[in-house]
Amino acid sequence: MGYLEELLVKEGLSLVGKRVSRPDALDKVLGRPLFTADKLTRGMLWAKIVRSKYPHAIIKRIDKGKALGVPGVLTVLTAEDIPGENQIGYAIPDQPLLAMDKVRFVGEPVAVVVAENEEAAEKGAELVEIEYESLPAVFDPLEALKPVAPRIHESGNIATTTIIRKGDVEKGFREADVIVENTYKTQRQEHAYLETETVIAVPEINKVTILACMQSPWLIRRMVAKVLGYKQSKVRVIELPAGGAFGGKDDMIPMIAPIAALAAVKTGKPVFLMFKRDETFEASNKRHPSIIRYKSGATKDGKLVAVEIEIIYETGAYANRGPFVLWRATAHAAGPYEVPNVKVDGKLVYTNRVFSGSFRGFGDPQIHFAAESQMDELAAKLGMDPVEFRLKNILKPGLTTTCGQVVDQSVGVEEALRKLAEKINWEKRKREIEEYNRESKRKLKGIGVACAYHGISTSRGAPDWSAAAVIINEDGTITYKGGICRLGQGSLIGHAKIVAEILGVPLSYIQIEGPDTDAIPEARPTHGSRGLMTGGTAAADAASKLRRNIVRVASEMLECKTEDIEIKDALIYVKPDPSRNIPFSEAAKELYVRGYETAAYGFYRAPKRFFDPKTGLGVAYGVYVYIVNIAEVEVDTWTGQVKVERVHTAADVGKAIDPDLIEQQFHGAIAQGLGLTLTEDIVFSDGKILNNNYTDYVIPTVKDRVEVPTVVLVEQPYKGAAFGAKGVAEAALIPTPPAITNAIRHATGIRFKELPVTPEKVYFALKKRRGEKS
Amino acid sequence: MNETGNLKIKFTLNGKPIEYMVKPNWTLLDLLRKELSVLSPKEGCSRGDCGACTVLLNGKPVNSCLVLAPQIDGKEIVTVEGLIEDKEFKALKETFIEKGAVQCGFCTPGIIVSAVALLREKGNPTVQDIEEALEGNLCRCTGYIRIIEAVKQAAEKLQKTS
Ligand code: FES
Ligand code: FES
Repeated sequence: MGYLEELLVKEGLSLVGKRVSRPDALDKVLGRPLFTADKLTRGMLWAKIVRSKYPHAIIKRIDKGKALGVPGVLTVLTAEDIPGENQIGYAIPDQPLLAMDKVRFVGEPVAVVVAENEEAAEKGAELVEIEYESLPAVFDPLEALKPVAPRIHESGNIATTTIIRKGDVEKGFREADVIVENTYKTQRQEHAYLETETVIAVPEINKVTILACMQSPWLIRRMVAKVLGYKQSKVRVIELPAGGAFGGKDDMIPMIAPIAALAAVKTGKPVFLMFKRDETFEASNKRHPSIIRYKSGATKDGKLVAVEIEIIYETGAYANRGPFVLWRATAHAAGPYEVPNVKVDGKLVYTNRVFSGSFRGFGDPQIHFAAESQMDELAAKLGMDPVEFRLKNILKPGLTTTCGQVVDQSVGVEEALRKLAEKINWEKRKREIEEYNRESKRKLKGIGVACAYHGISTSRGAPDWSAAAVIINEDGTITYKGGICRLGQGSLIGHAKIVAEILGVPLSYIQIEGPDTDAIPEARPTHGSRGLMTGGTAAADAASKLRRNIVRVASEMLECKTEDIEIKDALIYVKPDPSRNIPFSEAAKELYVRGYETAAYGFYRAPKRFFDPKTGLGVAYGVYVYIVNIAEVEVDTWTGQVKVERVHTAADVGKAIDPDLIEQQFHGAIAQGLGLTLTEDIVFSDGKILNNNYTDYVIPTVKDRVEVPTVVLVEQPYKGAAFGAKGVAEAALIPTPPAITNAIRHATGIRFKELPVTPEKVYFALKKRRGEKS
Repeated sequence: MNETGNLKIKFTLNGKPIEYMVKPNWTLLDLLRKELSVLSPKEGCSRGDCGACTVLLNGKPVNSCLVLAPQIDGKEIVTVEGLIEDKEFKALKETFIEKGAVQCGFCTPGIIVSAVALLREKGNPTVQDIEEALEGNLCRCTGYIRIIEAVKQAAEKLQKTS
């Protein structure tokens, strides 16, 4: 048996599956200096980015003179100072680190001022003179698609396209008894993590070290090396805990660490670079706005027969992660259902607005908003209950996804939906609400359901792996060096539980260390809900290797067979005679004395997947996490105010390494989904963001909090990961918007197809329906 | 004020008297973090929107990014560093950890400072009291559910022991 099979059947687990209190909480409660800005020391230089004020313009001239005259300013760097490649495009090489001849959005970095202190850097940044020749700009993706639109990139305004051709949609629609067709729109969402993007770069002899909050240490290393013209071994990246990330820091830190590194290398001094809140709003990636035309057909007995979908995702000025975000949306376009005939066409469109990118859900919230709204509209047309209709089509082992992938294991969406509906008494609750509404004049209640699935990690057959390291110290303590970043989600705590479980020691024995590119091989990024699954499996691999050594040395010490050794609570004993035992620490010391290996690297490798770009068919993701949300709302018909009273949630998590950490992720994800559904929206004027602060961009406060009274964890293990666990960090956000809008539809009869559903929109929609003049 | 426009101010920080030359435009947050290396107050927005920089000024929670350093002359400033032995803080520390009310932790010191002020004022706060006390403290990670529970439970703990 390989170590993964062994773990799947391991009995008497002491940590895995149990709730622990977070080992990182105390330091955070005490406000200890964990974060990047806490590491600022005297003597560090400040870097300040000079940004474009134009949405689309040619750079005619840059004059550094006045800025250099500011006392304390040491240097002003522009594209021409870059020794390596001035290119940080992720999927497509379309994005310079510092703009060269052209700027494409308001807020684009053009130069960087490096000074002895913050005031000088800011003063200098104001005095860098940039002469522009303004170009016509385009702010709307549909406008950008017109042949007469200004060209943002030489290749045109379409960054990429995607397709899926599964079955024959025309035939499918001929078989359909009901057809529903709608266009859905979603908006730009800001991550709004409390800690803004912050980086420290420290120059060393022929080397540079980056310290920062981040999600992708090895990508940062690649980008810094590329921009400086260094070999990767000459760049060291050390991860610090992030004050929230949600995808934003996956994209942004690789784009700004090279700026700090460049400044550090040019000045020979450590450099501190921190975005102000308005910079984060104006110049950091956002959730892709979308326009989705969705046509679905079903037979009268409730079987989905065809979906035809056109997706437009607005990527803004640069493609960034857009091609992957669009692909993910395409691959999940039909929702977690089997649909025999699928046609999807996706376009990723450039505009002269801040670029879009990674954000919790990575393209899936938008497409599920459309897909799950459609499901309810079809159910309504068929006169069927939304849960019942979903159950008729839901993915089960052996059925195929949007892109024709046969899902064979860990497909617990049916179980999740059934259990959640049962637990909250869906039928009865629905009836109660309908009765309440018949009596109620002002307030209407509603209940709505939405399902979602989300492929874990990377897709389309791209290779995927992870790594970790475990060291057994001479006193029996364990140092765990993870490759997954600390964003607040607690992946590394999950890894540490796995390591402790395998080695048979309490969690307190494990010292958890974040990624350091000089300490472990590439573990790949912390995104796509992959941290626990891929990193945890690498951790299990390393721990399993060391367990073999511990068992061997203990069997020598206790003079018994290796099969008879058991380890629990840091005590190693002989199973048939537990009185023969030694503490873990003694065996640890003996490992050193007898020359056993006391440290191990662990690896995870994703199974090989196959994907045909011509049809969009293939094995898109190794495994999917499935989630179901049921939202209950109350609509104030006088004001249009929607109050989300509660969201119930159920998910197939494979195996819950820590049910409490999972619940924490659900809470946060639902809150972000709430903001996306009801309030959050970036507003522009001529390409400039107007609501660049927390007053004008409204994220949920404690008063907007949504209770999550019911959490059901379904555990259908995934055999490719340690203990069968899958990642959950993004999942609960994805079905939140459609669960809420389906509930609003249930309450009011009105289908909202555009996010956010503001009180104004609700108010006027209700008014219009009453046939009053607005 | 000296010829550079700098001012000498006297205040107490976490119980210790301090005299410091400050620039008139420094914020209290800058003074604490950059000059005095008191790092529990965090900078999230610098404009009074997020509450990550909350400290106690004469016992009242304030956004230290909105207070100018000269304004604290003669006043008393308390941050998490000065609350370690405080009974409200201790109760909150325990319940925030037990309840899992901490994710990234960037908002946490500010929230706890606001909660300490609440619990000192009201021994038995209602959920609405807690909401009002914490309304100025944003958290993007937790959805606030556990935070409310943790504050509630800390209040109950304190009631029991008093
Ligand atoms: S930093 Fe002071 S309120 Fe945000
Ligand atoms: S725990 Fe991250 S902002 Fe509150």
